Amino acid sequence: MTGLAVPIEQALPVALERRFEAVVFDWDGTAVPDRRSDATRLRELVEELCGRGLELAVITGTHVGNVDGQLGARPDGPGRLHLCVNRGSEVFRADTNGVRLIERREATAAENTALDSAAEATVAALAARGLEAEIVSERLNRRKIDLIPEPEWLDPPKAKIGELLAAVESRLQAAGLDGLQEAVVLAQQTARAAGLAEARVTSDAKHVEIGLTDKADAARWVFADLRRRGIGAGLVLIGGDEFGPLGGLPGSDSLLLVPEAERATAVSVGAEPTGVPADVIALGGGPDAFVEILEDQLERRRRGDVPEVDADPDWTVTVEGLDPQLARVHESWLTLADGRIGVRATPALPHPGSDHAIFVAGDYAGQGPETTLRSFDTWPDLPGELPVDPLLRRRLDLRSGLLREDLALPDGPLAVLQFASLGRPGTLGLRARGPSSLLPGGRLDRFAVYGGEQSEHEAQLAAAEDTGFERIFSEHREAWARRWAEADIVIEGDPDLQRAVRFTLFHLMASVADEGEAAVGARGLSGPAYRGHVFWDSDVFVLPFLAATHPAAARAMLEYRVRRLPAAIETARGLGRRGSRFPWESAAEGVDVTPPAARDRAGRLVRIRTGELEEHIVADVAWAASCYLDWSGDDSFAAGPGRELIVETARYWASRIRVDRDGDGHIYGVIGPDEYHEPVDDNAFTNVMARWNLRRAARLGGVEPDERATWLRLADCLVDGYDAETGIYEQFAGFFDLEPLRIADLAPRRPISADLLLGPERVDGAQVVKQADVLMLHHLVPDEVVPGSLKPNIQFYEPRTAHGSSLSPAIHAALFARAGLLPEAVAALHLAARIDLDDLTGTTAGGLHLATMGGVWQALAFGFAGVRPRGDALEVDPRLPQEWQALELKLSFRGSPLRLRIEHDGVTVDADPWIPIDIRGRRKGVPK
Amino acid sequence: MSKVIAALDNSLAARPVVAAATALAQLLGAEVEALHVGENGNGVAANAAAAAGLELSTCGGPAVARLVEAGSSEDVVAMVVGSRGMPGRARPVGATALEVLAALPKPLLVVQPETTPRPLRRLLVPLEGTLPTSAAPEAILEVADGFELDVVVLHVHDEASIPLFNDQRQHETREWAREFVARYCPWGVADVQLETRVGRRDEEILRAADEFDADLIALGWAQELAPGRAPVVRAVLERGHVPVLLVPVSTDAAMATSVPKEESWSSWPSLRV
Repeated sequence: MTGLAVPIEQALPVALERRFEAVVFDWDGTAVPDRRSDATRLRELVEELCGRGLELAVITGTHVGNVDGQLGARPDGPGRLHLCVNRGSEVFRADTNGVRLIERREATAAENTALDSAAEATVAALAARGLEAEIVSERLNRRKIDLIPEPEWLDPPKAKIGELLAAVESRLQAAGLDGLQEAVVLAQQTARAAGLAEARVTSDAKHVEIGLTDKADAARWVFADLRRRGIGAGLVLIGGDEFGPLGGLPGSDSLLLVPEAERATAVSVGAEPTGVPADVIALGGGPDAFVEILEDQLERRRRGDVPEVDADPDWTVTVEGLDPQLARVHESWLTLADGRIGVRATPALPHPGSDHAIFVAGDYAGQGPETTLRSFDTWPDLPGELPVDPLLRRRLDLRSGLLREDLALPDGPLAVLQFASLGRPGTLGLRARGPSSLLPGGRLDRFAVYGGEQSEHEAQLAAAEDTGFERIFSEHREAWARRWAEADIVIEGDPDLQRAVRFTLFHLMASVADEGEAAVGARGLSGPAYRGHVFWDSDVFVLPFLAATHPAAARAMLEYRVRRLPAAIETARGLGRRGSRFPWESAAEGVDVTPPAARDRAGRLVRIRTGELEEHIVADVAWAASCYLDWSGDDSFAAGPGRELIVETARYWASRIRVDRDGDGHIYGVIGPDEYHEPVDDNAFTNVMARWNLRRAARLGGVEPDERATWLRLADCLVDGYDAETGIYEQFAGFFDLEPLRIADLAPRRPISADLLLGPERVDGAQVVKQADVLMLHHLVPDEVVPGSLKPNIQFYEPRTAHGSSLSPAIHAALFARAGLLPEAVAALHLAARIDLDDLTGTTAGGLHLATMGGVWQALAFGFAGVRPRGDALEVDPRLPQEWQALELKLSFRGSPLRLRIEHDGVTVDADPWIPIDIRGRRKGVPK
Repeated sequence: MSKVIAALDNSLAARPVVAAATALAQLLGAEVEALHVGENGNGVAANAAAAAGLELSTCGGPAVARLVEAGSSEDVVAMVVGSRGMPGRARPVGATALEVLAALPKPLLVVQPETTPRPLRRLLVPLEGTLPTSAAPEAILEVADGFELDVVVLHVHDEASIPLFNDQRQHETREWAREFVARYCPWGVADVQLETRVGRRDEEILRAADEFDADLIALGWAQELAPGRAPVVRAVLERGHVPVLLVPVSTDAAMATSVPKEESWSSWPSLRV
């Protein structure tokens, strides 16, 4: 299929009538008619467009002097101008500081020799057929052979491309060659013979060029660079004049249509005598038409067009219309947050079914169990109200943290873009265009600032307004791109899971600040549920993802605990114990805010004892600190507050353990992760975590020898319920004597709330488990359990587990993967990844299940990839399901960003600087 | 003016039917029309109507057809019928009433013979967590503006609808309830009291009617009385002591349940051991 050129006098094609975020274009014949023409207007356009945020990249075969000498643009940003010259071998950036090289492909001496050989061999081969050709230049990384070294064709203008081609082909045919295509094939053969296996051979009709790079390399660089700026290919316009075939060869600009450019819009302003490839808009009109396109883009930015989001299905969550039943669920899904604030994504125009709120992390009101994360509802505060059954589309771009809303109104369309600025946490940005009946002047740029002191608000707001929408928008988009570069996961072979995983990663990243302290409630900043209280969800489920991808955020989460250490010490003292007793539910003060009673689903008023008895939280906090240290190697934290957290929690356990007459240590009267049984003695999870905590603290320097000895003695005597004969840990003292029910055989389905199905009393007296309890040890502290005990404990406990906690599926996915039960692992992971997308709890309206999301990451990283820090090395022991082609993770270990790619036939690690890595027990890499 | 038809026969339920129709009409701003189908309307039915100051209309012909015809009239907002049997025994709904139930496209209030006349102040509204059944109480609540009605919504988790997850009870129940009310109680009533129970729906509804001293149970139903269908409606009619308002609901509407369908996620794997 080919397109037809249309006269430029017409309006631009519909596909071009939109705001693009980047324009990538050819130089000769596209932007300028020839290298002598005046480019003043183009320069003005380029500079103003960059000033208004548009990214521009020239991709050309010529050298930088030619392009810059003609264009001479020195834009001031936020949009940038790149000159990708020398046919893909160099990239320069032009700005107010001048033009500077930022990327160059340097040929090795051997490559240069091979290029020379290939060019000479090509000329010789042509000569052997009686055709005179000349090597006319030795450009960077390429050699140029003139096929028609005749005076009348010395410097043919672009407009004469047809006649030039005919003359060259005639000359080639006279020498017995089929045409230009055969000349190129000949050059490819000589290049291969010279040892250039991946030589790029191109032709502009007059020349054949043998090189190491071509325009496709430049295009790939540009699209990768744009991705680093948070700009997806769907927001890019590619301009050229030679997309159609030339002499049987693909047009030179068709090289710009690299796979990375999928969804980009391509337009040709060239004559294109043989038509253009499908999906390229044949506009014609030459450089004048291209200038007109840029002028249109400029006008769109001057008048404040609302940026679009790239509708890449792998990176977007789209909600069409307004479903009254699911409206609040969708508000949670589309939440925008920057770690400091979160705004639920209600439609821009109010409607009665919305649950509109803005939350500021750590900003609590109320006392005791009533302590609640405060909410504000003053954004975006547009007038009017949402029509009934609206024609509404909301699209969240996960890649760049942008929410675009389009609404059809009787007076005309309303378009709104919102973001919670990751570049300036606490700042909300909005741009809207719509009917003047709604927006005075038809447009609106608005900022708001939440959190912190009033004076800080005002200064931050004033700074945002001074900076302006386009610059803040650009820096926000780039900040998100940086976060994704640290944390993305690619699952090849399961697109549904891929989307769901990106959804979870997005919200994990959005929910946690990376400076100061980060109080991360059970639903993050996406809803009011659980009152914003901080549980072990934060320390054990969310933190590991951040420790391994963005350690500053994990550190901020720990800072939340560090600042509440005095309260935890005071609590322990009040209980007659030493050390620190962290609360099961925590808020502003660091004291326990667990409600003491509640109605259950059967309508009964029940006593809630988790605040009093779910003490494993103490070790969980220490584990979080250790996890952060293992990944980050943060020496100052290890020597200071991290040490304090681990020591004070160990002191708590030392004062909590009771040693009986036989010398066995016990912890009586606790609740484990399996909250169906309370209180219990010697809960395996609590005891082993306490033992781990004591041993971890004992390894720290600066501990008094007597105290260390006490810790180690207590750790060694603490019972853990392990039965060497069966290889099974008893979940708590007496568990094996309970009614031996297997919920897997009884329940109509799982997951199921077994306490509701069977009643709390029956469950309390039976071997029915809410979630991983013993098995949580194999997940969190595999070195503290007996080697080889995972499988027997999975076989015993999993059928007894109802998975009635939303935390359970993801952890079981990880455990199944470690046990090599991959179909089960994949099924459990799918379920975990869809808990909010399918509203499986019926409470997603109140916010997203952040701990489950953290569990999903852990299932992929710890479970399937088998990644664990071990000393100074990173251990990798992957389990790749058959149906996945590859699993790729971005991680950060001891300050080294790394990409881990697992395929069925091997593991690839890119790290800079290198770190020691043990892959399936074999050491790879070298020490930093 | 709109009408509530009190369908009277010569049974023990005639007087309670008139009383309940009067209370319902008050609530709906309607007037009561007493109707007897048959030739012997001079007995209990006539006395019941006369005692309430109502004129009894009588007509001949097949009872079901006549009642459905009368109830289908545009100005009729509801019909009231009595259930059969004696107080203290199970009260199977008579064959005529059953056929009317299945055919009348209007709310039908079924009154037990032992019902004591009382104003309608407290409504028990059992909701399954589906859109169609949540629409059932609208027939009353939309027009009862100005009356101080207590609305107790009851959701019973039976085996099929027990939630998948129940994380931290001290927060989860409250949060779930908040969203349940937002989704399924869109009646503009300020104070809906949501009660949840676990068990058999029929038993829990009857128990809750007593516990909350309900004056009326409002149930949405699909008017399907084939064997095995509407077991809750049958049980509540047979064993309840409180008038039951049956409101036909569309079965075409999407059945968005409070428990996600399993097809939406991969069901839990059977462990290979």
